[in-house]
Amino acid sequence: MPGAKSIRWYYLLPLLLLPALALAAPVTAHGSNISYTIGPAVALVAQFDNGEPMAGAQVTIYAPDDPVNPWMTGTCDAEGRFTFMPDPDRPGNWEVQVRQSGHGDIVVIPVGAGMATAAGMGEGVARYAPVMQPVGGVGGYTPLQLLVMGASVVWGCVGTALFFINRK
Amino acid sequence: MHLPDGILPVTVCAAGYATGGALTWYALRKINQQPNPRARVPQAALLTAAFFVASWIHIPVPPTSVHLILNGLLGVLLGYYAVPAILIGLFFQAVMFQHGGLTTLGVNATMMGLPALLAYVLFRLRFLFGRESRAGTGLAGFLGGAGGLALAVLIFYGLLVTTIPATLDIRMERAAITALALAHIPVVLLEGVFTALVVLFLQRVRPDLLDGASGWTPPVPVAAPDPSLPGIRGADEPHA
Repeated sequence: MPGAKSIRWYYLLPLLLLPALALAAPVTAHGSNISYTIGPAVALVAQFDNGEPMAGAQVTIYAPDDPVNPWMTGTCDAEGRFTFMPDPDRPGNWEVQVRQSGHGDIVVIPVGAGMATAAGMGEGVARYAPVMQPVGGVGGYTPLQLLVMGASVVWGCVGTALFFINRK
Repeated sequence: MHLPDGILPVTVCAAGYATGGALTWYALRKINQQPNPRARVPQAALLTAAFFVASWIHIPVPPTSVHLILNGLLGVLLGYYAVPAILIGLFFQAVMFQHGGLTTLGVNATMMGLPALLAYVLFRLRFLFGRESRAGTGLAGFLGGAGGLALAVLIFYGLLVTTIPATLDIRMERAAITALALAHIPVVLLEGVFTALVVLFLQRVRPDLLDGASGWTPPVPVAAPDPSLPGIRGADEPHA
């Protein structure tokens, strides 16, 4: 097609930089939030990212020394709550997966010796303090941060449109 | 309706990347075959922004709530450009808002991009009624917007139901997936109506935009060549 303009392959090169953004973004929550409190037992609350509880979601718990076979399975109540008592003789990172209808998340809960250190708090505090509380935003961001992030992406799209609109 | 990380088996994620990659390659190839591939990039960029934001618009459908997808609208308005637009929108949704995931980017791109191309085909049915027919354009717009999302929901349902891990209560999880898929029926209708309204509006104010998506470009007015120089061609006008 002589004279025709085409999208040259090197215009796509900046796309190769995009995965770098992924490293900067926390990848802990995926459209659902799980917050938990470690006390004598671990109490967790699972919500969708619009704040709705994941009522009846299925919980699968893996002990630190066996990441393949579930240590325990269960179901959240109507408020998305689930409580379990980890085996204190198996310290380490307990993995808890909560999922419902193809949505869900996995949280890693440090239990036992390393717990206070992992939480970055004093021992007495860590036993009852909430360790992770992303509820109210997604991935721990405040609504304002989310708004700015969304606006920057939208502006990127608008800028792309403006760039190409005058280059016929 | 975005599939997050850690739900699907690794093989499905890998297959999703294969199909998503093939789909993107095919769409980009088709785009490059057009007379001026860059002409529709502005529309594609703006609709990428719309797609990116749409997932924040939640619609309560008791007992759950669902959000807009708009993949059918993108297919109707953009044709092949919808595939890269959806891919980029999904990527930013995943890295910014953890909506979807990077391991499932290929799966999600296939799940929404392929139906977008179906929407594009469905919208072309309007030519059966004639280019000027408002009823035909509205109906085809509805079919495209609703059909695109309906196929995406079916793919979503099929993928999840066939990959429920044995460690879960399968019957219960299947019921939850079915409920979520059924909750999308109002959204399918809503997006169909929305797409119909958009195409009817565009037909009135910028009908050339609708024709562009169908691979037909209206003649570009160029400066009249100097009659004293026979055989001269407009500098900007490619002659294939």
